[in-house]
Amino acid sequence: MPRVEVNEQACTGCGVCVDTCPTDVLRLDPQEKAFPAYPTDCQGCFVCQWDCAYGAIRVLVNG
Amino acid sequence: MAVRLETDVLVIGGGIAGAFAAYRAREAGARVLLVDRSYFGRSGCSALASGVYPAYMPGDDKDAWMRAFGGPLVNQPLVARSLPVMHEHVLLMDRWGVNWVKEGRKIVRMGAPGRSFANGVWMAEGGPQMMMAVRSGVVGSGVEVLNRVALTELLTSDGRLPTAGRVVGAAGFHTRTGEVHEIVAKATVVCTGPYKFPYPWPGSTLGYMPVDLSGDGIAMMMRAGAELSRLELGGINLNPDNALSAPGLESLMPSGAKWVDQDGRRFLEDYDPKRMEMTQRALLYFAIAHQKELGRVPSMDLREVSPERMQLIRRVIPIVVNNQEAMVGDLTETPVPYTYQVAGTSGIFGAGARVTERGETTVPGLYAAGTCTDMTYLPGGNLPFCSVTGDWTGRAVGAAVGSVEPPQPPAEQVERVTGQVLEPLQRRDGVAFEPVHRRLGELLMEKVGLVLHADRLDAALDELRDIREHEVPRLTAGNPHELAKVWGLTQYMQVLEATLRAYRYRTESRVAFIREDYPIIDNVNWVKMVVVKQENGALRLWDEPLPESWHDPHPVRPTQNLHLVFRNQEAPHAAR
Repeated sequence: MPRVEVNEQACTGCGVCVDTCPTDVLRLDPQEKAFPAYPTDCQGCFVCQWDCAYGAIRVLVNG
Repeated sequence: MAVRLETDVLVIGGGIAGAFAAYRAREAGARVLLVDRSYFGRSGCSALASGVYPAYMPGDDKDAWMRAFGGPLVNQPLVARSLPVMHEHVLLMDRWGVNWVKEGRKIVRMGAPGRSFANGVWMAEGGPQMMMAVRSGVVGSGVEVLNRVALTELLTSDGRLPTAGRVVGAAGFHTRTGEVHEIVAKATVVCTGPYKFPYPWPGSTLGYMPVDLSGDGIAMMMRAGAELSRLELGGINLNPDNALSAPGLESLMPSGAKWVDQDGRRFLEDYDPKRMEMTQRALLYFAIAHQKELGRVPSMDLREVSPERMQLIRRVIPIVVNNQEAMVGDLTETPVPYTYQVAGTSGIFGAGARVTERGETTVPGLYAAGTCTDMTYLPGGNLPFCSVTGDWTGRAVGAAVGSVEPPQPPAEQVERVTGQVLEPLQRRDGVAFEPVHRRLGELLMEKVGLVLHADRLDAALDELRDIREHEVPRLTAGNPHELAKVWGLTQYMQVLEATLRAYRYRTESRVAFIREDYPIIDNVNWVKMVVVKQENGALRLWDEPLPESWHDPHPVRPTQNLHLVFRNQEAPHAAR
C-alpha cells in the first residue's frame, strides 16, 4: 500500500497538503508539522508531494 | 447547530463536469455554490485524468469522430452537437491557464480520429495542473466553493423521498468537524462522477484510484425518485496490478503500447486479430480482464515507444508512471501487469441519472451532468463529454432559476435527515467499517465477477440484501473522517443493488457486458435502455427502445451474433 513520509525539518506547517489531499489523509500536529493522520487512506496520487513548495513530503508506492 | 446556507444553484462535485456547470450557471447570473466532499481541483477523476482531452477541431472529418464515438446505443446527433463545444472548451481552458502541449503558440493534438483512442490535446503537466487551472477560472467567475462537505441526502419541497414535488437542496456533514450542513437551493446539479467499489482493500485488486468514488450522487438521486439508466453498461475498470493507479491508456495507447501475456504473446489476436490494439475500447478492456480471469498475466508493453514520447508521457501522466515504475522498474524494459474491477462505471462508460440534453433528471429541480448520468457513454471521450454536459446543464440551470421562488424544505425533513447523518458516530455497539467493506469486496469477486450468470447474480443480490439489512444499520464511525467512509460504502451498496438488478435484466451480451447464460449480441431485441427507479421502497426496472433519431446517420443493423468471447474460447469462464 502507498504511504506518505513527511520530513519534519523541511515542513513549514503551511497546511497546503492538508487542504488538498484528495482522501483527507493529512493533518497538522501540535507542533504545526504535517503528518498522515489516516495513513491507510493514502491512494498514492502524489498530490501532496507536488503541492508541497518545500519538498517536505514523499509518497512511497512500492507495490 | 447546523450550518444553513442558501444559494440559487447548488453544484455537488468538483470535477470537470461540476466545474463547467458552475461556471456557466454563474455566467447566466445565478448565485452558485459548488460543494466538494474533498477539495475542488484535487478531488475525483478529472484531476487524475489520463493526460489527454480528446478534442474535435474545426476542419476535422466529423464522420471519423462519429465512428470513434459510435455504437448502437449512442445518440449520434447529440455526439455531433457536442463536437464543436469540445473545441470551445480547449480554448477556454487555455485562457484559464491549462498547460496544453504546444508547438510554439499552437495547441497540438496526438492520436488519431476514428480509432478507439481519439485525437486529443495533451496536458503538459497532467490532470492535476489542468484542474487547478480550471478551478482558478471557475472561482474567478464568482462561484463560491465549500470543501470537505459530504452531502448525503437531497431535500425536497414535500419532505418526501421519493418526492412528488421538487428537489430544493441537500444536507450532509463536514468531514473534519462533523458539523451538519443544510444547503437550500433553487436548483441542484449532481456531478459526482463514476462509481465503483470504494476505498482500498489491501491485498485485493479492488479499490483503484480515485479510491472514494462511491456513487453518493447517484444513490441520492435514486432515493429522490430520479430514473437511472445504463447501469448495466458501466463497463470494466482497469488498473496496474498491485497499484491503485488509474490505467493511463488515453496517452499510452496512441503512443504505441502493445498488450502481451507472460509469454510475450499478443493476446488480442484471440479477440480482434484484424485491429489488435486499435480494437473497440470496451472490447480491449474486456480482453485484458478476461486474460486475467483465465489466469494469464495481461501486461502493457511500452518497449517500442520512442524515448521522446516516453519523456512526454512521464509529464502528462506522472501518477500512473510513478506507480508503474515503483512496481516494475524501467517501463521501457519491462511490461506492466494490469488487473480489473467490476460492478461500477469508469471514466469511460458513464451510467446514472437519466437526463435530457439540458441536464434535467426526471425530478423537478434536480439536474445532473458528467459520468453520474446516462449521457456520458462515449468510448474515448469521457473528459470532454463531462465538460460539454456540464456546460449545457449549467446554461440551462442558470436560465431556469430566475423564475423559481426561494424554496423552503419542510423543517421535519431537515431535522430527520440531519439527525440520521451523524447516527454512525453515536452508535456504541455496532459493526466496524472494515469487515463490512471486506465482505462486500468478497461478494464482488466471488459472486459477480467478469462473466455474469443469473444464478450468481441472484446469490450476490441475496447476500447484498443481507449486508444492507443486518450490518449497514449497525455501522459505526469513530470520527467525521470515518463517517465519510461509512456513508460512502452505504451509498455504493444502494447503487450496487440497482446495478446488479440491471445486469440481471439485460438478457444479452454486448462488448464488455458478458452474460454466460445469454451469449448473443442481440441488436434485434436489445437496442434499448434499461431504466431503474425506486418506488414504494423497491426497485422497478423496465426497458425502452431508443428513439430512431439517435441512429441518424448510421442505422443499427438488426443482427444477432454470438459474442466474440464465446466464439474463440472453448470455456471463457474456465477460471471460475
